[in-house]
Amino acid sequence: MKQRKFSYLVMVAVLFGLTMLMSACDLGGTASSATPNSGAAASNTPAGGAATSSTPATAAGAAIRVGLVTDVGKVDDKSFNQSAWEGVKGAADKNGYKANYIETADQKDYATNIQQFVSQKYDIIVTVGFLIADATNKAATANPGIQFIGVDQFQDPTKSPKNYTSLVFQEDQAGYLAGALAAYMSKTGHIGAVLGTDNVPPVYRYGEGYRQGALSVNSSIKVDTIYHEDNNAFNDPDWGSKTAGTLISNGADVIFGAGGKTGNGALIGLAQTAAQSGKTLYAIGVDTDQYLTVPEAQKYLLSSATKGLSDGTSTLVTMAANKQAPGGNFTGKVGLAPFHDLDSAVSQATKDKITKLTSDIASGAVKTGVAPVKPAK
Amino acid sequence: MEDQSISQSAPAAEEADTSQSRGLSAGVDDQLAPSTGGGKPRPSRSQAIFSALHSLLVPFLAVVTALLIGGVVIFISNVISPPVSTSPLYGNSPFNLTLRAYQGLWVGAFGSFDNISATIVTATPYIFGGLAVALGFRAGLFNIGVEGQIALGSLAAAAVGFNPAFAGLSPWLLVPMCLLAGCLAGAIWGGIPGLLKAQTGAHEVITTIMLNYIAIQIVSVVVNAVKPGNGQVRTPDISLNAHLPVLIATSTGLKQIHLGPIIAILAAIAVYWLLWRTTSGFELRTVGTNPSAARYAGISVKRNIMLAMALSGLLGGLAGAVEVTGVNFYHSQGFSAGYGFDSITVALLGKSNPFGVVIAALLFGALKSSAPSMQFYAGTPQDVVSIIQALILLFVAADEIVRYIYRVKSRGEEKVVLTRGWGG
Repeated sequence: MKQRKFSYLVMVAVLFGLTMLMSACDLGGTASSATPNSGAAASNTPAGGAATSSTPATAAGAAIRVGLVTDVGKVDDKSFNQSAWEGVKGAADKNGYKANYIETADQKDYATNIQQFVSQKYDIIVTVGFLIADATNKAATANPGIQFIGVDQFQDPTKSPKNYTSLVFQEDQAGYLAGALAAYMSKTGHIGAVLGTDNVPPVYRYGEGYRQGALSVNSSIKVDTIYHEDNNAFNDPDWGSKTAGTLISNGADVIFGAGGKTGNGALIGLAQTAAQSGKTLYAIGVDTDQYLTVPEAQKYLLSSATKGLSDGTSTLVTMAANKQAPGGNFTGKVGLAPFHDLDSAVSQATKDKITKLTSDIASGAVKTGVAPVKPAK
Repeated sequence: MEDQSISQSAPAAEEADTSQSRGLSAGVDDQLAPSTGGGKPRPSRSQAIFSALHSLLVPFLAVVTALLIGGVVIFISNVISPPVSTSPLYGNSPFNLTLRAYQGLWVGAFGSFDNISATIVTATPYIFGGLAVALGFRAGLFNIGVEGQIALGSLAAAAVGFNPAFAGLSPWLLVPMCLLAGCLAGAIWGGIPGLLKAQTGAHEVITTIMLNYIAIQIVSVVVNAVKPGNGQVRTPDISLNAHLPVLIATSTGLKQIHLGPIIAILAAIAVYWLLWRTTSGFELRTVGTNPSAARYAGISVKRNIMLAMALSGLLGGLAGAVEVTGVNFYHSQGFSAGYGFDSITVALLGKSNPFGVVIAALLFGALKSSAPSMQFYAGTPQDVVSIIQALILLFVAADEIVRYIYRVKSRGEEKVVLTRGWGG
């Protein structure tokens, strides 16, 4: 009986303690950033003073606050989420904004995660990925005083409010660069691409841009672009790997993999074939620098057709902070990732040509000639 | 023939019920299911309250212990990799951040009416899922297939909901149709392993796991066949007439309390009523505790296995249907990821008691819906919530640990037979 009493005592004491803790302390964070010197915040966060003094204070005393809501996944995914966060953080560090993020665990949390920043009166809210576009559009419509930036989400400007700017990319341009590089590097005059479904417009643009880029360098080059069938298009690494193997045995020596895990499978498949056969083979990744995301293929990964997510996000955040966000779709820069391990394999002449092509595409001097979506048959 | 023997054994069953609630079944039953016979003196009110408190003690201490250890984990994680956000966390000590993480948890779960609403809405699928698993446990069956049953229930409800042929129907007709479709899909998907076990002896743990994979692929095929042309892999939106009515609106219009939580509570009452107030329920529980004795008493074990699995699947299907008609309004590939498995934790935490399940589900709802808030206020990775959940499960499943730490004596009667071994 004594022991029982002891455990009830523990139960009551813990309950009481928790209640006191929760009700006594307010969350200094909201208070300290709005009014840095309020007593409660200071007592709750001893280091709070250091925090406020280390950040360049704006004239009004309240720094611009930027919140980022990730697509489902982690903020350090070495892909879209991470690139967008690096852009936000870069702009924040440079200009003295304060930045915070929430990782989305489930699609149905998109709206509530955005709302978390809205209810804390953040000035700029950045959301990542096209699946979160609906929730972003709704939140932007409901909160005209807050600037919203959608990373990699195409919007219909006639249906979106002015305080919502989308960062979009012309995948055909990135694909064009990758194709040109592949054509310069190919010894066999035969290159390939393993892609997700061409019913998804960005994938189609990557694939066709790749073809046009390669043909612009060598009009007689053989380009095989293989699209996955519709079902499970981005989640089929086995198919990606096998298809890369088939292309290689048919003579292709550079493979562009674009299509989530399917594309990654192609990169890994190429690396395995190259390691076994001893052939000189090159893989080209997509979206972000895949040297970091697909370590299995590092030795053979020539480059990646990248979207300038960090750069574009940083630019838009800075524009939004200065109340200059353009609204609508804002086209970010595309390019190629560093050559990493294969830097010495690429001749200086090729590097120069790629650099020139990159700037010509950015300036509009070179057009890819790729339709935005697959033309209906 | 079978029926006759059951009806004949019914009085005997009533008799057995008395000893059942005293000896074999869970301790919680003592309060929640007063025995019908007169063999046992009724406990006094204070004794009853004390006893009820006692049965809550171990789960409560398990949660507290899990939160304490979770705090240590958060502290260590803060030391090893400080949060990268620059505001409002910058410059906080790891200890402060740990406190703030739990404040964030509290605020995120209960800090405002909107947050309480989100907690309840998030808890709803766990109530159904927990009930599904608990019902199986009571019949001695381990339904790991709730995941697949939820997915198919959700898909079936969505299929009825977005079907243009039904779009014009009144909500009074369409909502029940969606829910029924979900129930039916779940019941079939749960009934298959029941049938297999009853007829062939195939163990339900294996068959339900395998059926999960099949369900996921069915969903994939169907969703890809009907997806709208916006690049998203999901069904079209269900008709507005198929939406569950919102009972209490929130200021943001997000995660509003819809009819689902009410249905969930009614389901808990129904499961309780079935198990402890009907002959079928008594048979289910008897099969769960001792199939040989049940067979000897003239209870059809096969029939009850099939019934229990179908009902369990029905609850799982209902979880999916309510989620589609109340929260998501479409079914997307991978929507249910994890609900079915978390439901097992919920059922264990609730000691397979319907009302225990409701409380456990609310706890899970609070943890899940406050994870973003923890991250917002303290930069805590949301995985920490999963760690806390796992710790809770550990301490509930292996309650000797908690009993040892807090010197709680076992009363030696709180064991529920969860599942039997191979071929049992």
